Amino acid sequence: MAYSDKVVDHYNNPRNVGTLDKSAQEVGTGLVGAPECGDVMRLQIRVNPETQVIEEAKFKTFGCGSAIASSSLATEWIKGRTVEDALAIKNTDIVKELSLPPVKIHCSVLAEDAIRAAIGDWKKKNGVAETADTAVAAQ
Amino acid sequence: MLNVLDSAVPVECWSCSVAHNESTLFCPHCSKIQPPPGGNYYSVFNLQPALNIDLAALETAFHRLSRKLHPDRFARATASEKEWSLADTALLNDAYRTLRDPLRRTEYLLKLHGAEIGEEHSGKDRRPHEMGASRAPADLLEEVFELNMQLEEMRAARSSGEDDPALARNLSEAKAKFEGLQAEVDHDLREQWTAWDNGGDAEKQAAQKAMVALLDRRRYLSNLVREVNETMGA
Ligand code: FES
Ligand SMILES: [Zn+2]
Repeated sequence: MAYSDKVVDHYNNPRNVGTLDKSAQEVGTGLVGAPECGDVMRLQIRVNPETQVIEEAKFKTFGCGSAIASSSLATEWIKGRTVEDALAIKNTDIVKELSLPPVKIHCSVLAEDAIRAAIGDWKKKNGVAETADTAVAAQ
Repeated sequence: MLNVLDSAVPVECWSCSVAHNESTLFCPHCSKIQPPPGGNYYSVFNLQPALNIDLAALETAFHRLSRKLHPDRFARATASEKEWSLADTALLNDAYRTLRDPLRRTEYLLKLHGAEIGEEHSGKDRRPHEMGASRAPADLLEEVFELNMQLEEMRAARSSGEDDPALARNLSEAKAKFEGLQAEVDHDLREQWTAWDNGGDAEKQAAQKAMVALLDRRRYLSNLVREVNETMGA
């Protein structure tokens, strides 16, 4: 299957690959998997406690090109947003931006899942009330 | 999508006009080849759709049908018959490969019964948290992720010409452990097979749910074991 140019770009030059200190108070970590294929993705955020703005985002994905591109794009998109804003990102936005074909939709779902899980973890750590959205993802 | 299970609609043989079961590759009456039939992979081999199957019977039927479909036998056949023999061969091979493999057979039969499996349970409209039901337990994900990190480290070390014996030992231990987990999943699956094959609707439903979850888990494990093998050159 041919990948779109944007997928290839993110795949060849993934943005924000890396690790944040999992134990740090201001860091939220989301580790998620796609049962469809067995791929795994970790996405981490560092949130400014005052402004609730995501100042740093890192990911590490062991999976297909679309999953790598989706998570790379996700980190780009959430950086500079508040956590509540970041929760507005939907996997369909990623599908559109990367022109993913139907069989690759689950790869974008993985990225949305990862954002929610990371934010959920951060909220739990910092005693911020869970919204319905993150409560499920962070379980 | 194949969903014809028990509805063996009789089809008329193009040659002798006698009606026959839709899934036979050859007319039971005049033995002439038939166009690729509808129906499902099981009926190609005249097997009952079940998860526990007689593998020896499957293999025998496969070899018998392969011989009957051999191109040499169609050297003097009509153009349509030649064409059908190729299409039937393709179908026969797909059917055999699917039914022979325990995991693929399970996925196939559950899909015939309407289960959403693999790629299919991630439709466009599905919200991520609705996938929670089949999400792997966190500790499995942690381990899979951790091991992938180690594999990456190992590959990096290799490509710069070093070898880290401690890491290699760690990885082969992990591999053994994950193979053990795979074996456990396979064992659990087999138990569910029997429950599914022999159970009524309620048992079937429960077994199906359990199997979908087991197959999901199995995918993480297979992925990882494959990665380890590739990296370690086993
Ligand atoms: S194929 Fe599994 S995440 Fe893309
Ligand atoms: Zn006939």
